[in-house]
Amino acid sequence: MNAFLSALWAEALKMRRSNVPLFTALGFSMVPLVGGLFMIILKDPEAARSMGLISAKAQLTAGVADWPTFFGLLAQSVAIGGAILFAIVTTWVFGREFSDHTAKELLALPTPREAIVAAKFVVIMVWTLAMTLLVFGIGLVVGALVDIPGWSVELFRTAFSDVLGSAALTIALLPFVALLASAGRGYLPPFGWTIFTIVLAQIAAITGWGDWFPWSVPALFSGAAGPRAGLLGPQSYGLVLMTSLIGLAATFYWWRSADQTR
Amino acid sequence: MTYAIETNHLSKNYGKVSAVNDVNLCVKPGEVYGFLGLNGAGKTTTIRALLGMIRPSLGQVKVLGQALVVGGRGPWAQVGHLVETPSAYPELTVRENLDIARRLHGIQNSKAVDEVIGRLRLTTYADRKAGTLSSGNFQRLGLARALLHQPTLLILDEPANALDPAGIVEIRELLGSLARDNGVTVFMSSHLLTEVDQLADRIGIIHKGQLIEELDAARLEDMRARQLVIEARDLVKAREALADFGVMRLGDNRLGLKDRRAVETPELIATVLVNAGAPPTHLALEQEDLEDYFLRVTQ
Repeated sequence: MNAFLSALWAEALKMRRSNVPLFTALGFSMVPLVGGLFMIILKDPEAARSMGLISAKAQLTAGVADWPTFFGLLAQSVAIGGAILFAIVTTWVFGREFSDHTAKELLALPTPREAIVAAKFVVIMVWTLAMTLLVFGIGLVVGALVDIPGWSVELFRTAFSDVLGSAALTIALLPFVALLASAGRGYLPPFGWTIFTIVLAQIAAITGWGDWFPWSVPALFSGAAGPRAGLLGPQSYGLVLMTSLIGLAATFYWWRSADQTR
Repeated sequence: MTYAIETNHLSKNYGKVSAVNDVNLCVKPGEVYGFLGLNGAGKTTTIRALLGMIRPSLGQVKVLGQALVVGGRGPWAQVGHLVETPSAYPELTVRENLDIARRLHGIQNSKAVDEVIGRLRLTTYADRKAGTLSSGNFQRLGLARALLHQPTLLILDEPANALDPAGIVEIRELLGSLARDNGVTVFMSSHLLTEVDQLADRIGIIHKGQLIEELDAARLEDMRARQLVIEARDLVKAREALADFGVMRLGDNRLGLKDRRAVETPELIATVLVNAGAPPTHLALEQEDLEDYFLRVTQ
């Protein structure tokens, strides 16, 4: 446990000193701000046109300006935007050890490699959940400022669990990004993998196989393609869990057993 | 006897390329072992195998009496290392980088960081970001990390890299005193052969993945070729007089003799030259330096 806490302290220090948390948090904060702008526009499209917020030709199909729509927008952004931003965080946490050539300093230590890898995953989880809560928190403030109609405590509870659920499913798929950043020894392979899975997730969802493709599940859960009840089944969550466990096991195995030549 | 480092038939292949082939090394506790080799000879691959970073294709590695398994628990609390170029987290200060190493080594005493910073003369740079350090100070940071936990075995890849001449002397003295006064075993690779020459008790030469020579520093002294170098005003006459001693021409105005009689009794050669009417103006016994010896055995 002491070894794990030491590794966690080290990973937290690296995170605190980096600019990456700031930039990813700033990037993610755009989500509720843009959502708020949409709400302003949807509340009164004619006023938005006259203010120059939208062009006269704009076709508004996002829905109506109310809390359910706004919360839905937040959940979808966490699922889809999170797939990219959370992957950037994961890529940085693992890939930087190779781009800075510091991986070799983590291998011959009394602290087991498993403790270091586990600490990295914990930091990623805390960091990405913190960003999700930040987005949700900013969303509440923006929604209140824009004065969107349709608020209820019950809706808040449902929306909160939807956003957290979308984030949890997205986070669960990150171990493969970590594996690619480790085995690929840098940033490009995990970025390539992330784009590849996003494209495949789109295709799977469009062709109706999204419930069987783990990388489609977070977006479908968030309601990006309509109510999730008809789109996802127990097998969808099982596949996400299995993918997560396989990715975790493969990442731990790689750090323990692969030749470290860089 | 328990060796600090022991490899038995260590081999490492990458596909069809043999990086290290059947290397048998034994380093005694408290010994300074110089590991010499040209670029690509297999030095770093051997060092990575000694640190459990790569899995040998064949053979076994023991460090401080413990057989290594890749990813397993090795005797790392007692081993300090520097592999290839040093590295550090650039956005963290020198102190923070060392504090991470301290925690990962399980050292409770936070003063250990200040002590090693002082020892490596990094005090001025302690709160500076590692990414802004000069290459020499970056090397010092790497050495500080290797020494932080007061290891009994140091495995160092080119420890004098990037250091200025004063820094080289300083690190040589530091490693020498660790071995002499604290009984620390030092296994160091270097391309600065004079460094190895001055510090090592034993030297191993690796070439094309094979350990082609392993010898004590004292034995190296004997193995290095010696020759008697002569200058004379009448070089033609001198050469004729020394024909029986296997004389060789060295440049325009010098002669060289490798004959054992000449090397062991230079006064005999002086007498021969005087009697022949070609008295020497210069007569000196020169010993091949380590660079020449190294090049001779690797060619």
